[in-house]
Amino acid sequence: MALRREKAERLADEELMPLVGRKDPEAFAVLYDRHGGAAYSLAYRIVGERTSAEEATQEAFISVWRSGARFDSTRGSVRSWLLSIVRNRAIDFLRSKAGKAPKLTFDDDSALEQRPAAERTEEEALRRETAGELRDVLGKLPGEQSKVIELAYFGGFSHSEIAGMLGLPMGTVKGRMRLGLEKIRVELAEGLA
Amino acid sequence: MSGNDHSSWSEDLAAYMLGALEPGEAADFERHLAGCEHCREELRWFAPAVQTLPESIERQEPPPRLREALMAEVRADAQPESRPVKQQSRRWFLKPAMGFAVLALLVAGAVGYEMGKDGAGDSRGSTIERQIGGIGVKMVREGDGGTLHLSNLHQLPRGKVLEAWVLREGKVEAVPALFVPDHNGNAETAIADMSGVAEVMVTKEPQGGSEEPTSKPIVAMAVPQ
Repeated sequence: MALRREKAERLADEELMPLVGRKDPEAFAVLYDRHGGAAYSLAYRIVGERTSAEEATQEAFISVWRSGARFDSTRGSVRSWLLSIVRNRAIDFLRSKAGKAPKLTFDDDSALEQRPAAERTEEEALRRETAGELRDVLGKLPGEQSKVIELAYFGGFSHSEIAGMLGLPMGTVKGRMRLGLEKIRVELAEGLA
Repeated sequence: MSGNDHSSWSEDLAAYMLGALEPGEAADFERHLAGCEHCREELRWFAPAVQTLPESIERQEPPPRLREALMAEVRADAQPESRPVKQQSRRWFLKPAMGFAVLALLVAGAVGYEMGKDGAGDSRGSTIERQIGGIGVKMVREGDGGTLHLSNLHQLPRGKVLEAWVLREGKVEAVPALFVPDHNGNAETAIADMSGVAEVMVTKEPQGGSEEPTSKPIVAMAVPQ
């Protein structure tokens, strides 16, 4: 069993997916160990509390287990595919528990950044460094642009809901989303890519 | 489509990528996207920016019970069909009726071997190199296993992957890891157990792989024992 785990660890994510599709638990375990932290963090960022974050993450990974063969490598990485599933599940949780779960607004997300960090591995520390750089990129955005992007991506709000919340025309909201993503993309190309 | 029409699609693109279009709007945008290379190109360009968002958040450590619960469910679900891939591939091969595709593979494998022998490469120690049908093939033996390196490959059609097969004791077995060429036309796959392998072959298969070859091999190379 240990040898199989060792072999699975040598495989790229894209190589693990067919094995997950064939119901190989070791391939799935490696996939979880690589991306479970990011997945749980994203779910937690969206739903704002641990129990729902666990449930959303668990549901997302189980759906991957049951539909692993549906991954299409031509449309992006395993990680981005997996995180998009986690995001959708977490947004569903947020909506189903509306009124109970703390809805993210543009000025209350600082609370989510203050949660205690558990012990990290060296790899995790490296990821944190990268995450810090990415946060710097996002931090350079004008507040009006980061606000609409965060409300949409982490809050699960539609552009019309955001327009209503902020008292802005819908076209302005969409325009700010586009400008914000353009700036992030340019920053990535110049700095991190 | 006029320029003005298109600018409204451009305006929708970022909202679509952030999941912020209403369902009907998203469906309209996807219909437009299917026929608009310009928007598809923009979508590809923007993708890293959206992928940055989940990577930028403060990392939280998932509780160990989450992994335990997941693995318990997965192992229970896998129980009826769980088996090592080697056993699985042997099981399909040991069916009394051998598929025509497998037979074709074996025949093509022999042809490939001859082509390989005429190629520019030679066998040195634990590394064998060949040129087969314009494809560079290098088999590097490492302990019990090995790595098959391919070069000068064409990009695959959408929905296709490469799958490697080994011929061992007269039986064809699937190599579990599927692979695709990179932008330079190079690809490689690990073969965990090379013991008794007489030939290594590669076919193009549908996404997710096949349990037996469904096309003629693009590469088939004999492996000296």
